[in-house]
Amino acid sequence: MREMTFAEAVVEAYRQEMRRDEDVVVMGIDVKASLWGTTKGLHDEFGPRRIINTPVCESSFTMVGIGAALTGLRPVIQISFADFMYLAMDPLVNTAAPWHYVSGGRYKVPLVVEAYSGARGHAMFSHSQSPQASFLNTPGLKMVIPATPADAKGLMAAAIRDDGPVIYFSHRRLLAQKGPVPEGEHLLPLGRAEIRREGRDLTMVAYGAVVHQCLEAAEALAGLGLSAEVIDLRTLVPWDEAAVVKSVAKTSRLLIVEDGRKRGGVGSEVAAVVAEKHIDLLDGPIVRVAALDTPVPFASTLEAAHLPGTEAIIRAARGL
Amino acid sequence: MTAKRYQVTRKEALDLYFKMVLTRKTEARHEELFQKQVLPIYTHLSLGQEAVGCGAAAFLRPDDYLIGTHRGVPEVVGKGMSVTEMLLEYGGRRNSPSGGRAGLHLHSAELHILPLAGGLGTDFSLAVGAGLTIRNKGWDRVVVDAFGEGAAEQVDFMPALNMAVLWNVPVIFACCTNQFVEYHPYRETTASRDLAPRAEACGMRARIVGDGNDIFAVGAAMKEAVALCRGGRGPCFIEFKTYRLAPHHTGDQCGYRSREEVDRAWKNDPLPRARRELERRGWAGGKHFQAVEARCDRIIEEAVRVLLASPLPEAGTVTDHVYAG
Repeated sequence: MREMTFAEAVVEAYRQEMRRDEDVVVMGIDVKASLWGTTKGLHDEFGPRRIINTPVCESSFTMVGIGAALTGLRPVIQISFADFMYLAMDPLVNTAAPWHYVSGGRYKVPLVVEAYSGARGHAMFSHSQSPQASFLNTPGLKMVIPATPADAKGLMAAAIRDDGPVIYFSHRRLLAQKGPVPEGEHLLPLGRAEIRREGRDLTMVAYGAVVHQCLEAAEALAGLGLSAEVIDLRTLVPWDEAAVVKSVAKTSRLLIVEDGRKRGGVGSEVAAVVAEKHIDLLDGPIVRVAALDTPVPFASTLEAAHLPGTEAIIRAARGL
Repeated sequence: MTAKRYQVTRKEALDLYFKMVLTRKTEARHEELFQKQVLPIYTHLSLGQEAVGCGAAAFLRPDDYLIGTHRGVPEVVGKGMSVTEMLLEYGGRRNSPSGGRAGLHLHSAELHILPLAGGLGTDFSLAVGAGLTIRNKGWDRVVVDAFGEGAAEQVDFMPALNMAVLWNVPVIFACCTNQFVEYHPYRETTASRDLAPRAEACGMRARIVGDGNDIFAVGAAMKEAVALCRGGRGPCFIEFKTYRLAPHHTGDQCGYRSREEVDRAWKNDPLPRARRELERRGWAGGKHFQAVEARCDRIIEEAVRVLLASPLPEAGTVTDHVYAG
């Protein structure tokens, strides 16, 4: 299969969907210039009515996207830095998420919010966060976070075709990473995890960029005689409980890894559900490896200390 | 002077008058049913500003979009929503369009009345988004975004006006300046007397209708704005000056204004004014007005009958419709 970068895969998904359905539009700050390369070339093909450069007003253009979605377009809103999703919190939480429910199913909000999250080195506290957990508690929002270029394409296409609001996170550190991507139409159903590596002794559940650290850790653990299964959640809402439970039933040990902060994190939810419903499957405590509960610091030593590293994953796995 | 083609016709004036009466009577009935604990949610009456509210919506086609205010009975009545539907929503009934989920948040996918969240000033960019759909689809529909002057202090106001002009979307921003923001006169928290200059500053066509209790002034301004927007020359901004005779909501003691001031304002009540003007023009008289009252009463009685006969939703439906797909 041909290889392309994560960003190129997103472009391919946009192009595929925009050619297929003229109601698909992409809006955001500098989508014409394409800060992250994920809309590169699309303005030339689709023009300013569908690749819509907005003013710097995340809250407002998110609401524009919602208004367009309610009336017949299928907009993708780009938030260049996921940290600024907090500016768009009210439109997403109070309008996009509830209205299908509040209208008894009569109004649909087919909106994708594509946001760039995660620390990538020296970007400081408000351009580095992984705010996924902040959106777990809002019913009505789905949430995906691909870890590979192929998934980036398949999940974006599926998110665009979903009839409700979907938050799509791209980890800033993955955008240039290359991988095989299927040609032609590629759709990945939302809500399905992927086993990235099979194992017998413990289950690692992760999402986004830390999936790759888990795979590195699993390789190192294999050398130590520990066989780790690595599950990439890919969709955080609704997350694939069945896949996690099936794996834990086999390994009896669960380690959850994320680069979001630990307190009230995605891992907290996964751990709570497994403990509440399946504690009989476990041979020991569920362990979470996550970012520290601090703002993201600047200096490289501090940033590394804030984030979950491969060594920490290995240590935690050995201690299970 | 309003161009002749935008002047309100007899048919339009009578329709507007009917909708104003229906609004007032429906709201009064809602208040009564709340006091009697038949309905669980209180009122935000539009008393005194029915001409602006009904007028903002009454000149739209069925396929045009409307976003009403939080004091929005006149707007949704103006757009043609049935009183039965409204009372079923207020009662949270199983057979309400939302199945007991919306309450005061009146909306209608069929009538193109767009949803409105509870936060004031969350409507502006939503309207721009609907305008963007119209632009991209090549439709000749328009959007009316009705709001009050208090909402115009919200963070989204200026960005929405800016985008509306940038993208030339057919949105009419209909500002109902009713002198009060919740529990205070608007000048306590708004530095400028008028809001329309803010729209002008964005390059938007803007005007002030100084007498928002005159159905003919309101109607002519709306007709002109709708025609301009439909012709691709939108967006427009209209600020209607009126007076909120109502308290902010049921139970508000209105300590922020004098009794005398409110009594004076009642002399400018848009309903008797409309009757006087219709009579002066020879377009309607006492018999017609009585017939309108009776027709509205019949509509409301039927709505109440349906409300009382309608059950609450089954608890088991609580998780329906959280996700669309």
